[in-house]
Amino acid sequence: MASSQHVLLSPAELAYLHASLSLTPPIRPDGRSPTQFRPLVAETGILPGTNGSARICFADGTEAIVGVKAEVERTRTRHDFPSLDDEGAEDDDDLDNQHDVVKGDNDWVEMTVEIPGYRDDDAGTVFLSAMLSEALLADGEFTKRLWINRRFHWKLYLDILLISPPLSYPLPLLSLTTHLALLATRLPRLKSEGDEDPLFDDDWAAAPYLYTRPGKKGSKKTVAAPTARPPVTLLVMAVGNNIIFDPSKEELAVADVALAVSVGEHTGSTSSKPTEMDIDTEETKGHHNLRLLSVRTIDPPSRLTPPGIPNASNSAYGANAGAKDTEKKKQQQEQARTTESEAVEGVWKAPRGGAKTLVMAALVQKVLEKGGVADEVLDALDGVDLN
Amino acid sequence: MPLDTSAYSLALLRVDGRRWNELRRIHAQIRTQAAADGSSYLEMGHTKVMCVVNGPSEPGPRRGATSGGGGGGGQSKNAEVAVNIVIAGFSSVDRKRRGRGDKHILELQSTISQALAASLHTHLFPHSTINISLHVLSQDGSLLAALINAATLACVDAGIPMTDYVAACTAGSTSTYAANDEGADPLLDMNHQEEQELPGLTVATLGDSDRVAVLVCESRVQVSRLEGMLAVGVDGCKQVREILDRVVREKGIKMIQEGTVERGVGLNDMELD
Amino acid sequence: MPITILPPKAFRDQPPSRSLNHDSDDVMSDATSDSEEDSDTQPGGVSLDGGATIHPRKRRSAAAASSTFTKRPKTNVTSSSVPRSAIVTPGERITTDPQWMRGHGTYLSSASLGEQAITSSLAGIVTRTNKLLSVRPLRARYTPEVGDLVVGRIVEVQAKRWRVDVGSTQLAALPLSAINLPGGILRKRTETDELQIRTFFAEGDLVVAEVQQLFQDGGAVLHTRSLKYGKLRNGVFMAVSGTGGGGGVVRSRRQVWTLESANNGGPIDIILGVNGYVWISKHVEPVVPEEAKGQTGITNIEEVVSATMYSSQNDRIEPETMREIARIRGVVTALVENGLRVDEDMVTKGYNEAVELALVSAEGPEDVYLGGERGEQLAAALTAV
Repeated sequence: MASSQHVLLSPAELAYLHASLSLTPPIRPDGRSPTQFRPLVAETGILPGTNGSARICFADGTEAIVGVKAEVERTRTRHDFPSLDDEGAEDDDDLDNQHDVVKGDNDWVEMTVEIPGYRDDDAGTVFLSAMLSEALLADGEFTKRLWINRRFHWKLYLDILLISPPLSYPLPLLSLTTHLALLATRLPRLKSEGDEDPLFDDDWAAAPYLYTRPGKKGSKKTVAAPTARPPVTLLVMAVGNNIIFDPSKEELAVADVALAVSVGEHTGSTSSKPTEMDIDTEETKGHHNLRLLSVRTIDPPSRLTPPGIPNASNSAYGANAGAKDTEKKKQQQEQARTTESEAVEGVWKAPRGGAKTLVMAALVQKVLEKGGVADEVLDALDGVDLN
Repeated sequence: MPLDTSAYSLALLRVDGRRWNELRRIHAQIRTQAAADGSSYLEMGHTKVMCVVNGPSEPGPRRGATSGGGGGGGQSKNAEVAVNIVIAGFSSVDRKRRGRGDKHILELQSTISQALAASLHTHLFPHSTINISLHVLSQDGSLLAALINAATLACVDAGIPMTDYVAACTAGSTSTYAANDEGADPLLDMNHQEEQELPGLTVATLGDSDRVAVLVCESRVQVSRLEGMLAVGVDGCKQVREILDRVVREKGIKMIQEGTVERGVGLNDMELD
Repeated sequence: MPITILPPKAFRDQPPSRSLNHDSDDVMSDATSDSEEDSDTQPGGVSLDGGATIHPRKRRSAAAASSTFTKRPKTNVTSSSVPRSAIVTPGERITTDPQWMRGHGTYLSSASLGEQAITSSLAGIVTRTNKLLSVRPLRARYTPEVGDLVVGRIVEVQAKRWRVDVGSTQLAALPLSAINLPGGILRKRTETDELQIRTFFAEGDLVVAEVQQLFQDGGAVLHTRSLKYGKLRNGVFMAVSGTGGGGGVVRSRRQVWTLESANNGGPIDIILGVNGYVWISKHVEPVVPEEAKGQTGITNIEEVVSATMYSSQNDRIEPETMREIARIRGVVTALVENGLRVDEDMVTKGYNEAVELALVSAEGPEDVYLGGERGEQLAAALTAV
């Protein structure tokens, strides 16, 4: 699927970019290091009518706004109430009663993405919203925060607006903005007890954050073992042997492989899902326990680019064009036929074939390494002032 | 709770403390997005709107297009004003998702497009398109007015020549349809609660003059009240135009101060040498 | 730190902010334009396409160079008090004096007493050339003038011409008859040429050309009938759009020149298109085909030199050259983001500064990053000179 508006570049430019990014170390067009992100501007709390909101502007002028709204909804009774652990069978303790049915439902989160110029049911838009919500719901922990009591829960609506037209693949921008908006989301403080109709405190200043802020006492609302931060999705690409983060649209246009990697934080709970990939670390200060939530391959726009024409087969090139000597022409045509199948230096050829497993593994490893890019990104987002 | 207008005539204050002829707080910025040709952000009370303008530019290769001559064979002589509105789901108190094909949105788009086309000098840009993209972040009444004002500001920022600002605002009446009271007052700049309860209209004028570019009334009102509402609305538009103008001027003066744009001839020293 | 997140300017030094959060003092109907911040200097809000600027102090030297515009007023603009009358806005009456003629950005409206008044249709500054009054907008797209050297990208291939994006309100046209055929052949274009039109230029190719004439509606017609024009390769492209009226890339004496780069980079060609599109590439001596060697005379120059005109194949470019090209690109970006004009003089000075900056930086000459703070440092160093 077309992941972004096709960036129009000439074959000569593409060949140059590819060569430049294949060097060791790669030379990026704007001179950044491979793990360096472009500076961005972030602010939260811009929409007082929402439970949480954030706005991020990237350096190239793309901008996104996310607003989170929550509504109380009646929980549909289910016939099978699987309990989390064995204590759930006991009925006498009120507190335990609350614990045994704390199970979120993915229906409790609704995410919509609006991109100017695209319809709502456009494949690209649907894919983006699926990827973003998948990262959020993957570990099953998030929806537990929305539980009020057995009869009611919060339904969370995330509306993601892309203000500028999508020049480059918008996924990282939208993901970072969503992350910030979720960090800034607050839900009214619950005053009622047990399973009665929920009653909330009118004082907004008393409303706790959806994700508890470090340093403050945890509020009563978080009954489930919380993940400390919402997930974040990063775009990472590979050219030759080089791994490059935060690619600009020109860099993406020459990518061999592009991946969207969703990273969350490890809760430390005992979970036995075989598919999860825990990075084996202890909690050292400043480092998050990162957990890989999902990996999606992105079709880089490089595959749609027309190939360059090598000089040998270029009829407008050199003496060929004006040559009256048909013998020479025939010779050159034969040469051209052989070079067509090989890669010629300086001539752009769209990448063919899929991504090698080793390359993908290397990409994912680079994202998750301790003290690496994901750590830095999460730290930086944490540092944003919440209004 | 329904709007209680019974005590209105006594205290002469509306729900939010304004008098009948006071506008809400208007806050506006231009050049909020550097990547676009023109951009603006406007708040009228709690109605918050963002606008991004791209153009005039020529649309890309048209499928199946014949190679028209440079002067435009078969293409329009005027630029086309294409408006796109996105109302965010979180804009109203209750979260509500609106599809693109929503009739209300289509009508808003068409109204704004015609309003701006009336003022912009589109004959200077044949066969090109001006793309106006509007985002509604928060709604509290006077939506169409805010959209028109934001679009005007963004077009000024983009440097598209126009006859004058298209300034808009709403006006209403304290009387309901059936009531026969003579004491009904017109109201300026209605918020959401007032819009729901009372009849009102949106009016937009071309700058300072009395020339009306847009007049939309979707409620029932006695004809005798109409003139009063219109007069109040037009007066409000003049105030709005003044505010928009101030925003543009301050930005321009700032740009000159910073050397972004060099200073030209002042209007005061216009002697010929 | 690989990622820098900046707060909107509100939280930094100056009170006026670009953020959507603002302290609202609830004065009724008060237009608080609190956020008239110069968004050009803020990395989050600006892109390479953001409004570029002319620095006041340097302007006087540019006044001689960029001559297409009007007589400059002699007042010193660096004074901080700029009167309100310096700006005109749409619908504002400029004058009713009938001796003035009206130029771009104005229209005639009827004032009282049956008079006609010249009224502004843009937000901008008034300029006068002799008896002509026009308004230059604060910001507008590039408007082509005859003789401009522009860099453009082919977006459409039609039967006998190409449509080229030059960053203006309309696409420019490059007719098939306006290009040089390779080998210097002079002949009428035939149907074969039309069928093989894509062998010359295809969609996405970059060309450097000159504006030959203008259509009545303002569209440009380009030509590449010279040795220095043609298809571009071996380098990088960047877009730098300016404000209406000469910001960003200015029209100056030399738009194309070769820079001798440091750190073994070799010679690098720089092309500053007036429309704000810039091309930086490795300088390549034209290849002389075998049979033409020894035959070069004045009449044969075209034939010889234009052999590689339509090649899409890059030559071998060394990493050192690529590094210096990236450095120059960073210099141009820094100039734009910090409100300095972009011309040969500034770019050369900026480049020398950048090389020196790199020498004192941690990674030595390999460090080419010039965004954000480094860019501001560079600009500060340049204006202090």
